[in-house]
Amino acid sequence: MQRIYVHPLPVRIWHWINALGFVALIVTGIQIRYADMVGLMSFKSAVHLHNWIGFLLVANFFVWLLFYLFSDKIKVYHPELSPMKHFRGSLRQLQYYGYGIFRGDPNPHHVSAYHKFNPLQSMAYQIIMLLLVPLQFFTGILLWDLKRFSGAVEFFGGVRVVDTMHVLCFIFFVGFILVHPYLASLAHAPSAHFKAMITGYEEVEKEPEELIK
Amino acid sequence: MTVRGAGVAPMRKRSAAARVKFHQGFLVPAIATFLLAFATFTGAIAAESALSAADPACLGCHSIEGLEKKLPSGESLSLNVPGEAFARSVHRAIRCVGCHADVDLASHPATTTDIRSLREYSIARAAGCRLCHDAAFKEHEGSLHSARVREGDPLAPVCTGCHGSHTVSPKTAYETCVRCHAAALGAHGKWLPNARLHHEVVSCAACHAPAAPRMLDLRLYDSATKRWVTEKEGAPLFEQLASSADADGNGLDAAELRNLLREVNRDAATPMTLRGRVELRTGVEAHRLVGKAQAIRACDSCHRYGAEPFENVTVSMAGPDGRPLRYPAQKEILSSALAVESLPEFYAIGGTRSTFLDVLFALALLAGIGVPVGHMTVKWLFRKNRSRRDRSGGGDDAR
Repeated sequence: MQRIYVHPLPVRIWHWINALGFVALIVTGIQIRYADMVGLMSFKSAVHLHNWIGFLLVANFFVWLLFYLFSDKIKVYHPELSPMKHFRGSLRQLQYYGYGIFRGDPNPHHVSAYHKFNPLQSMAYQIIMLLLVPLQFFTGILLWDLKRFSGAVEFFGGVRVVDTMHVLCFIFFVGFILVHPYLASLAHAPSAHFKAMITGYEEVEKEPEELIK
Repeated sequence: MTVRGAGVAPMRKRSAAARVKFHQGFLVPAIATFLLAFATFTGAIAAESALSAADPACLGCHSIEGLEKKLPSGESLSLNVPGEAFARSVHRAIRCVGCHADVDLASHPATTTDIRSLREYSIARAAGCRLCHDAAFKEHEGSLHSARVREGDPLAPVCTGCHGSHTVSPKTAYETCVRCHAAALGAHGKWLPNARLHHEVVSCAACHAPAAPRMLDLRLYDSATKRWVTEKEGAPLFEQLASSADADGNGLDAAELRNLLREVNRDAATPMTLRGRVELRTGVEAHRLVGKAQAIRACDSCHRYGAEPFENVTVSMAGPDGRPLRYPAQKEILSSALAVESLPEFYAIGGTRSTFLDVLFALALLAGIGVPVGHMTVKWLFRKNRSRRDRSGGGDDAR
């Protein structure tokens, strides 16, 4: 086993703040939306918490964005420009998760410092980080003060449209937050990826393509 | 009684005493009399033209601007009744005698007065409102406003304090309340999130008359002119359109509401939308107002599925006189997936949530739990295969 530095410190800080924040947003969001079924806290407390955590995560998003914009690590998000290559890689990865992993086949993706996402993750995280997370934050800010942003709310079709977009993103992130830890446990050891997101170092069996000093 | 502003022509000083005497003794009163008669005539004509069966005789004098009575308290009681405004008021039908039946025309105007102060007169006249508005009066007697009046608070409003005297017209509670409670928005902003929005979409009485049953009124709004859509006088269309959209006659459902809006917007350059407002089911209960200590402060009074205001829903349009023309709607229109199209501008978090999105949320929860559990189960079932491959060196990934 060799250790390669895959997760720089700003990314790890962003990741864990984001993870805890999203869990808190989901819990308070459920409390706000389902006050007739859930009684963890008052509606008003849930709204205040939701708003504050939301703003914290908006600021945190910029930590992630600025780090990658001003670092060569942005390569990890570079899309595969060949659709066929991307499609074949995605299919291989799907085959592994849906079949090969049960038989004990090797993971077709090999982690390196500039290639930490498999084709499925690469596509998913581009959509999540560049579309769904900004959309969630943007609609959340509009809903935070509907009068202040009434022009934008009207532009997007009204409060119900904005809220529907916010809730659809929320529904996606509920599914994501449940599946994500499980997928993270599918390493050579269940805790390996979790440790890596704390220390920054992934353990890999093969020769890494590029070692980080 | 004095006449103010009747108009007196400026006079030049003349040296001749006779001319001064002539002016003071004859010309000035003559001009004043002419102007008074002219004002009386034009005021009466104007009011009469708008009031089909009003009292031109009363307005003959009472439409004179500045007509007032000096009271023993030193205050002036305005006797002016703006004829045009009275003609537009909801009280035009009951005519002057409806409220002033005590006036004896034989001895009117009286040479003496038993009115001691404006306040005393307002309180005394308010009792007359009870003749027609007994239910509202009884509710008002249990209100904070009434308690303050009994305590002698000079600022506490009686009927005319909120509704006016001769210009009683439909207006929103908010417009009425903020005339005195101008600091209300700032005070609410200290504890109520989105206070400005709440003041727009929740009537004051919906929280400050906590015992009163509430409802949601969805009113047609013109985004282009930023005004409520008002039905034209003599062309009743809204109720006709609503009842023809409501094919089964049990209140508009989601599809019928969508059809109604399509019909309303058929020839509209800018589509009209529905804006919601939580109000009391009847205006009568709006009179039992309480102070902030007893008012509703719990957010989940509205922001909870099945909340009482959303159990009763109406769709409305402002009538020619400003009063809403309401048509009942089914409460399910608020949680329908079609609401994105028909009610894009009204949504109360939690209270009017979409059933379709609830189903999607349940599916996401099921998938989020089911996928890992299912995958783990299959992995566990195949554990022996992996062991055999590992022993035979067939797999190089321990994952």
